[in-house]
Amino acid sequence: MQSKTLRDILVLLTIGAALFAGGYFLVHEISKSDYDLSYQVSMEQEEELGNLFKDLIWDQYPTIKDNYADSALQQIAKRLVSSIDSTEYRYQFTIIKSKDINAFTIPGGNIYVFSGLLELAETPEEVAAVLAHEIGHAEKRHVVTKLINEMSLSAVIAVLSGGDPNMITQMLQSVISNRFSRENEDEADKFALQLLEDARISPKSMARFFQKMNDKNLDYNEDLEFMMTHPHNNKRIDRARKYKTRNNFSPEPFSIDWEKVQKSLKSE
Amino acid sequence: MEFYPLQQPDEIAEREKEDAMGAYLMMFAAVAIGLPLPVINLIASIIYYFINRKKSRFIHFHCAQALLTQIPTTVINWVAVIWGVTILVSDQYEATDIFWAYVVFAGVCTLLYFIVSIIAAYRARQGKMYYFLVFGPWSYQIAYRVRPTDNVQTSEPMNKPPF
Repeated sequence: MQSKTLRDILVLLTIGAALFAGGYFLVHEISKSDYDLSYQVSMEQEEELGNLFKDLIWDQYPTIKDNYADSALQQIAKRLVSSIDSTEYRYQFTIIKSKDINAFTIPGGNIYVFSGLLELAETPEEVAAVLAHEIGHAEKRHVVTKLINEMSLSAVIAVLSGGDPNMITQMLQSVISNRFSRENEDEADKFALQLLEDARISPKSMARFFQKMNDKNLDYNEDLEFMMTHPHNNKRIDRARKYKTRNNFSPEPFSIDWEKVQKSLKSE
Repeated sequence: MEFYPLQQPDEIAEREKEDAMGAYLMMFAAVAIGLPLPVINLIASIIYYFINRKKSRFIHFHCAQALLTQIPTTVINWVAVIWGVTILVSDQYEATDIFWAYVVFAGVCTLLYFIVSIIAAYRARQGKMYYFLVFGPWSYQIAYRVRPTDNVQTSEPMNKPPF
């Protein structure tokens, strides 16, 4: 009888283990299906979509080009992009003249940073952290996935084939709102921390900037755009603070005069 | 190890069958009340067990089986609740794939428990035994095993006939 009991316990444990393994497989497949969803839009189509958005942004927002702040942004971006192992994007970084504290990515590897965010940052490393995070969204194809989820694949395809122009505006608003799922935010953060380390920029800069956003949250409610789209910030700050770099990691400072950046933004 | 003989369905009173079925069905109401805190159903099972176990061996068996099965189910669900709350309130923990896999596991376990409980309740209402894996034989031992104390008899009967 004892051997039967033992056998029954083993059967029960095996069923339990199988259920758990099945659960893990299911969860893994669901998270993977989001990634697979983005592959229903090819890189060429994504670039095309990005160009449509770029034209709209060009019409709707004043941009800052060819001044010291812009060249500083390009210098930061260049360091980051050259540290990505391999990428299918030709990244472009643009400053939008606006007091809002925000940054967003549109399809095709086009990243926009609001001048309000650059004014808030105290070092180029903090801006690098934001850019690395946005690059993370691009590399993980979160923007395309979000558009498909919110607007449907057929709407994205319709826009590409010259469909309803109102739809493009609606899509752009969705992209600028920068609302990603918590999982997407975490994934972009993890990507950013690794990228910052690879680019010899201290990952702690990400914690510093997020902390600044948190502090700002307490004082200025009108400047919450970026914060509100990035919930569970404490957890993210903590993760960035605790991120363990390689033993031989030594950060390489940027040769950017940040005061000059701030001045050039104010003069615009 | 000796066991008391099993009663057959026609030997079991209707009331006994209902009480035995109640051991499983009562849990559903308790689950509905205690869903956010999956311990109410365990408490309800314990109370039901102690109230009904002496009524008959058939009822004792089903109450024991319902209670014993309830214990791992409660533990599994409690772990899910504590883990989930910890993730929500703490900055240290994240909802990883392992956590979600555990939630799926806990959900399926609870569902399986519900299904076998309904089957057991139906069988109990018919006056039949229904043995769960591991917990069935264990409950059978609890309810039907002849204990040494069961056979203790005083050498001198207390009540005697008048002649």
